[in-house]
Amino acid sequence: MKDNSILVIVARFLIPLVMLFGLYVQFHGEYSPGGGFQAGVLFAAAWILFVLIYGLETGLRVIPLRVIYSLGCLGVLLYCAVGLMGVILGGRFLDYQPLLATPQAAQQAGIILVEFGVGVTVASVVMMIFLQFARRRAQSQAAGLELDQEQDRS
Amino acid sequence: MVLLVLLLVVGTAVVLTRDLLKATMLFAIYSLTIAGLFVILDAGDVALTEAAVGAGISTILILATLALVPAREHRQRGHNRPALLIVFVTGAALVYAVSDLPEFGSADNPVHQHVGPYFIEQTYPDMGIPNMVAAVLASYRSIDTMGEAIVILTAGIAVFALLSVPPRRRQRAPDAKTRSRDEG
Amino acid sequence: MSIELIIQVIAALMLGIGGIFAIIGGIGLMRFPDVFTRLHAGSITDTLAPLLIIGGLVLLVGFDLLTFKLLAILFFLLFTTPVASHATARAALAAGVQPLGEDTRGTGASTSKS
Repeated sequence: MKDNSILVIVARFLIPLVMLFGLYVQFHGEYSPGGGFQAGVLFAAAWILFVLIYGLETGLRVIPLRVIYSLGCLGVLLYCAVGLMGVILGGRFLDYQPLLATPQAAQQAGIILVEFGVGVTVASVVMMIFLQFARRRAQSQAAGLELDQEQDRS
Repeated sequence: MVLLVLLLVVGTAVVLTRDLLKATMLFAIYSLTIAGLFVILDAGDVALTEAAVGAGISTILILATLALVPAREHRQRGHNRPALLIVFVTGAALVYAVSDLPEFGSADNPVHQHVGPYFIEQTYPDMGIPNMVAAVLASYRSIDTMGEAIVILTAGIAVFALLSVPPRRRQRAPDAKTRSRDEG
Repeated sequence: MSIELIIQVIAALMLGIGGIFAIIGGIGLMRFPDVFTRLHAGSITDTLAPLLIIGGLVLLVGFDLLTFKLLAILFFLLFTTPVASHATARAALAAGVQPLGEDTRGTGASTSKS
């Protein structure tokens, strides 16, 4: 679809806008409806739009496969690391009190870090599920196997 | 009220249709209607999540799955009468139990008595952020959110484990295939 | 006849006409015979109705931060709704759906350059 100039121009306008809005929703999760889950889904949707227009190989050159796999795990590890920091610095697991000086700043810092971890995990998992489905279809066609739908079309 | 009626109609249509593409589009409309209902009930975070995940990503992923499977659902033969009886009895019992619940949204519900007022009053003095939902999710009940993130990662790993094996040519008996095509 | 009353009446008219256009678009989506005629009905009214509705809301709000948010939503909708119908029409043409009519001269997807 990348030789269709209408779609390319509008995608070139929309994809950065969607990513920016995803980052806005992520970091304003404390003041307005938002947070990690919604932001991760929005960011992954921007990448999926890019793949739909420019193809899967170009999409994988922008965000490589290893990066997607490792970011998914790193998000959860960030969450657990914030929890263990609470234990190391003298509190309980996932206790945000010992992180910074004032209690309110410590809670806010803990919430921002934790939501960022959740957002990164959700974005990379949604991207990975989509690219697994897309690669499966490409592999089926390349191996010459007839798909089920062509046989069952009655 | 209109949205609830629309929800019932769309839900019935999703169950009754057998064309999978129509069912996907109806499911997207269902998610959007639920998001509208959440906005009416003043739940901003949930509405945003439902609209983004249900009407956006879920539709894309189901369409990506539909590229790999047959386009229509197989017709189920016969009725399963004991199952129908059990479902009917359970549904009637649940509807009878709903009439026993306290009034929706009244201030002296047991739900609103114990930790609800504590969260509403203490979120801003404790944390300094106005969004109570984010505070409850990420700080008061933080271990649950860690469990949710781990569940999402496990789902991703499961999809990866299922789909990363390259497809092989399946051995299929030709007369079984023609028999199912005559029935369906 | 103060100026606020006139603005409120105009805003109410715009909201009402926007809603009526949306309903007409919905009826057209159901009653037209073909994919392409349905797209014609759906996309034109689907672009015009949000324009009128959000215009009415902007008139009601006045000049506030909310105005810019509403205009941003309108901008986004104006960009994506026609592109979505264009993509649907191209997909229908690529799937082989022929437009209705007596003198269709083989409008295939291979002959269109954009």
